[in-house]
Amino acid sequence: MADVHPLQVKRLSKRFPRKRGLGSVQAVSDLSFAVRQGEIVGFIGHNGAGKTTTIKCLLGLLKPSEGSISLWGYTPASRKVRARIGYIPENPDYDDSFSPMEYLSMFASMRGLSGDDKSWLKLLKRVGLSSWETTGIRQFSKGMRQRMSLAIALQSNPDLLVLDEPTGGLDPMARKEFREIIIEENKRGASVFLSSHILSDVETICHRAVILSRGKLVTEGSMKELLGGENLYRIVVISRKTGEEIEEIIPEADLQSRIDSLRRDNLPIVKVEMALKSLEDVFLSAAGGESK
Amino acid sequence: MKTVFTFSLMTLRMLARRRTLWGILIVIFLALVGISSVPSFDVGNQGRFILDFGLFGIEVGALLLALGLASNLYPRDRETRSLMPLLAVPLARWQYLLGRFFGAALVQAAALIVTCLGLMLILLFHELPIPADLLPATLLIIVEGWFLLSTVFFFSFIASPPLNWPLTTMLFVVSQMSVSEFVGIMPSAPGFMRFVRLLLPHADVFHIKDPIAHGFEIEPVYFIIAIFYGLCYAAFMLSLALALFRGRDIK
Amino acid sequence: MRWTFATGTIIPVFALLVLSACSTDYDVTEVAPAEHLVTDEHAGHDHAPGEPCYETDIESEQPLTGEETTSIDEEREAAHAGHAHDEGDRNHGTQWFFNQPWAAPFIWGKLVRDSLVFLALAVGIFFATRKRSKR
Repeated sequence: MADVHPLQVKRLSKRFPRKRGLGSVQAVSDLSFAVRQGEIVGFIGHNGAGKTTTIKCLLGLLKPSEGSISLWGYTPASRKVRARIGYIPENPDYDDSFSPMEYLSMFASMRGLSGDDKSWLKLLKRVGLSSWETTGIRQFSKGMRQRMSLAIALQSNPDLLVLDEPTGGLDPMARKEFREIIIEENKRGASVFLSSHILSDVETICHRAVILSRGKLVTEGSMKELLGGENLYRIVVISRKTGEEIEEIIPEADLQSRIDSLRRDNLPIVKVEMALKSLEDVFLSAAGGESK
Repeated sequence: MKTVFTFSLMTLRMLARRRTLWGILIVIFLALVGISSVPSFDVGNQGRFILDFGLFGIEVGALLLALGLASNLYPRDRETRSLMPLLAVPLARWQYLLGRFFGAALVQAAALIVTCLGLMLILLFHELPIPADLLPATLLIIVEGWFLLSTVFFFSFIASPPLNWPLTTMLFVVSQMSVSEFVGIMPSAPGFMRFVRLLLPHADVFHIKDPIAHGFEIEPVYFIIAIFYGLCYAAFMLSLALALFRGRDIK
Repeated sequence: MRWTFATGTIIPVFALLVLSACSTDYDVTEVAPAEHLVTDEHAGHDHAPGEPCYETDIESEQPLTGEETTSIDEEREAAHAGHAHDEGDRNHGTQWFFNQPWAAPFIWGKLVRDSLVFLALAVGIFFATRKRSKR
């Protein structure tokens, strides 16, 4: 089954019931995408867009309301395929009473991995926790817990890395180290599914991106397609209420109609310029359009 | 099963490092010392009194240990999000549940054996004979403790820890009642009450402090059958807990 | 027939039927043979012939004759030989069990029956709630 992707999501929907039976909240709706072998795919969306819900569905933590998820052709319930995944949760936490070495040894034993203390020390050194191996996790900062998560995720040399906001609590140096490790893992042969708010990270390391807004797929494509497609324009107008400058990113096709509508509303246009296209512009344009 | 074994050892180490265990053990020992210090009006009855109330103390200790050790295990894992990395990759849900259960069960059993040894020391201190059935009786209390532990696990999937305490305690009390006593709670609906009682456990089979205190001979087959019953009921409660857990979204 | 259907439906229903097939349970007084009817619990009250006994659920069919009363009294005394409670005190806990050896096989049978039913239920629920791993 050579054409089976590491991850394939088809028409995924997830609804959460409201309290007291008052209907339900649609967290993800009719979402389809795939992560192909050897790809790094960015998963982008605003807060509450449904990114973490999707990730939890594909790890079997949440049961999809509709649609299907396939990991190398199996459902997420299969332990055989989950053994091939490395996962970093958003805001990871671990039992405070253990040290990183104890945690790694126990996780290795639970996963049936053959490794000794030397290899775990090497791993801790790789993620930047080399002098903290016997310190209780109780004393760890958020960034150190992220590093601890990365060590656990990398422990089994996974074929698919699922990373949910992995660089959220990290300083710029640590973020750079994280990016380098992700690229190294990708070169080793691992596919990566990276959910992040930090669009510059996604733009730097991802081959493709999937953009989500309000639980729906807005657009997806390779970085080349997303950044090299239609030109974007930046319009700066002055708000009549506050008197402040407001900036809008508009696709070229919508530019004229937007200028006409601003003129009709007698809003003073300060400037119209071609935007130097970044993933952030693409995201704001796509997600902004969706939310209007 | 290696995964379950490793996770249960992890749970054991985690629970042994918590203050709850040591706090409950101190309370049980204080209770045992208190019982042995009560001056008996009849010297001949002193041994019976210490045994009877000592075993009762250990039985209540089993309930306290079950609640103290397990009522907060799953809710805490969920609240701190430490559950996610465990369930996402290395563990299936049944392995998580069994690992946590076996870890807590081992800690509880060790604690109860220590309290039993404490009771023996108290009897020796008072120069009283130690009945041969004291250890098997403690073993029955341990099995009762495991049944209570499985009940606590079950309730922890449907109730918060503060609610788990009264629910488990209520089941502990009700499961000591005979059918006629239970029907007596609501005599207007005897059929319904009988049916409910059939499904509820019969924890009175673990309750042999009186016969031991009174020196009755207890056949070994009784211990074997009662232990088998306790283990099967604990397995049933755990399967109910697992059914709830498997159907649950980990948000 | 799917395994999950069998375990999920038939086994629990069968188990409940087995459990509820017995109108009595662990109360020895409910199934005591006539010669063991007079217990501490039963001795404390009277009722007319044919009227069901509230505590034992067993109808007393005939009034006791003088001879029967004597023999029951003797048995009762014998049963009380190892009894530590005062006369008239109610038994509690499992003491009744160890006081009345005739009841042992009855109780053991019940315990083994219930153990097997609950074990079957546990296994059934475990397999019935398993998730599919193949698409």
